[in-house]
Amino acid sequence: MSLAQDDRGQQRAPGWLARRLHRSETLRGWVLLSPTALVMAVGILVPTAILLAMSFWSRQGLDFDTTLTTANYARAASEPIFGAFLLRSFWISGLATVLTVLLCYPMAYFVAFHIHHNKMLWIVLITLPFWTSYLLRVFAWKVILGYEGVVNSGLLSMGLIEEPLAFLLYSQAAVVITLAHAWAAFAILPLYVSLEKIDRSLLEAATDLGDGPVRRFLRITLPLSLPGIVAATFLIFIPTTGDYITPALIGGPDGAMIGNLIQLQFGAVNNWPMGAALSIILMLWIAAVGVAFLIVTRIVKARLA
Amino acid sequence: MDVIDHLAAVKIGKLSRRAFNRSLLAAGVGVLSTPFMPRRALAQGAQGTFFTWGGYDIPELFVDYQTKHGALPNFAIFGGTEEGLTKMRGGYVVDVAHPCNAGLVRWIDSGLFQPIDTSRLSNWPDVLPELIDIQGNLGEGGRPWLAPFDWGQTSITYRTDIFELEGEESWNMLWDARYGGRLGSLASGGDAWWCGAIKAGVDFKDIATDEAFDKIAAVMREQRPLIRVYTDDTSSLEQALSSGELAAAMTWNSSATLLKSQGVPVEFAKPKEGALTWVCGVMIHKDAPNLDKAYDIIDSLLSVSAGEFMIRDYGYGHSNRKSFEAFDEPTLAALGLSKNPADILGAGHFQIPQTQEWESRMNEVFELIKAGY
Repeated sequence: MSLAQDDRGQQRAPGWLARRLHRSETLRGWVLLSPTALVMAVGILVPTAILLAMSFWSRQGLDFDTTLTTANYARAASEPIFGAFLLRSFWISGLATVLTVLLCYPMAYFVAFHIHHNKMLWIVLITLPFWTSYLLRVFAWKVILGYEGVVNSGLLSMGLIEEPLAFLLYSQAAVVITLAHAWAAFAILPLYVSLEKIDRSLLEAATDLGDGPVRRFLRITLPLSLPGIVAATFLIFIPTTGDYITPALIGGPDGAMIGNLIQLQFGAVNNWPMGAALSIILMLWIAAVGVAFLIVTRIVKARLA
Repeated sequence: MDVIDHLAAVKIGKLSRRAFNRSLLAAGVGVLSTPFMPRRALAQGAQGTFFTWGGYDIPELFVDYQTKHGALPNFAIFGGTEEGLTKMRGGYVVDVAHPCNAGLVRWIDSGLFQPIDTSRLSNWPDVLPELIDIQGNLGEGGRPWLAPFDWGQTSITYRTDIFELEGEESWNMLWDARYGGRLGSLASGGDAWWCGAIKAGVDFKDIATDEAFDKIAAVMREQRPLIRVYTDDTSSLEQALSSGELAAAMTWNSSATLLKSQGVPVEFAKPKEGALTWVCGVMIHKDAPNLDKAYDIIDSLLSVSAGEFMIRDYGYGHSNRKSFEAFDEPTLAALGLSKNPADILGAGHFQIPQTQEWESRMNEVFELIKAGY
């Protein structure tokens, strides 16, 4: 019975909006979504649209020539530097991603299967280093890998090397190491969640049916934790490809990535439309690599199942 | 309606509900209306903002300002003047910014600045006139756009115990393949490109020609594989020089002075081809939100106490004539300075203001070279 039919005169009849909301579940959903949707529209869609529009403009002295042109994209395709930087970024962040997932998997596995009390405390302890700022972690690695850093002075005092290793800092290797550490929390958490969810009785069944620990891991644990691996890979690969701070601080001349190139377009080079075009290209490539990766994991999953 | 009375009343349980509600209402109205209060009221407590390089954000330069306002100005840091200008073009508003002579004309043309009313600066009469009279500085009515503050050189700081000098000091030191991987450079084209021009033998008058671009680009490409790090962070270069990671690096006066004061065996080269010389100063943003404090920032920078610090601790020249009185000629000569800045500025290569097109093109080419192309 709706309130409108109530025969006590003072009771106010519900307004038009309330009636509509009451009837339509879709409308209720939209109203609930609207604050987030608004933030998304203002904070993400509009800037992306501006970026897209700007990428078809061109630079004219200090201002923009707003006649639409694909010249920026043509330039990105024809000049080797852009392709090379993109490839280098994918290479560095791909290596960092693989390294991170490989290093974090055992940690997540240990907490999920071998810790029975105070699991939350363990998770908090593992993520503790990530409570400091990203920038501080990068600087910490500068101290560790530096010419007079922890690694070099350690090796020197043990007599293993006679001169400090110069390649540790200002190199692609330094960027990979730093990224692998700086993003570890983003791998541990999804991996832990997917491992934690695995039904232990499946593992018992596998053991009962004669699988050794290795076969059991490969046939049960690994396939069932695949969603966590996929999530971790995406969470690390996407942001690190465009990373700018790490290569800027410890990459040196040969460790610069596409994010640094984009920053330069908006800074010293002062060619915003080119920077916008490069950002769009980067987004499209990351999307393409992501889709390809998803398809591969689908196939692998189908094989394993 | 006294707060303490209220609290006491609550303690002894005598506060009526009505009185309590009234205080709640007052607090609510206060909180709600704060954002609508005139902005000026808020800005009064704010300090002026100084947009500059790292290293100028220190109390020693703002003794007068601090005495007057009880706090330091706010600082915003850029890596190079071009980066700073781009940020301000994008809408970033500061009170005072810190460009150099090479960018002066472009900074004025950007329309983001206002000429300086020198009558509001108590230290202005002592400013060296040859520094005020740089190309393009005097606007209508003889008002300058830029109040000169510091001047100095870009040259090579090298470790005397590591770098074996072959003959005279020269720009070739930063192209010396024996020290490949142990050389450093400033990342900003505003320094490096001009030094490249000196090395390539390009006259600064011809620096905008295509031929000059090709020549300078060629020497920068030749240098790139030898460079361990390009950075605008001078303390990175100083640390690397002090640890021996770098044997030589392109720096300003201050790096050499700082390292020497710490006992590191370094020398600030006087290259036979001549060093790069520059004058930097401060400009006021046209929409400066704290105009009075902007003048106080400038006056503080021009003061003798700031000048003596600049000369003694950083080894830079200062624009106040009186700052030099505390130093004798040999001390100044050892720092590569003189009481007569014309001697130093004339002996080196003085940057010539360029167009925006040139600046963008130079940065684009130089960034490509640094990236390996």
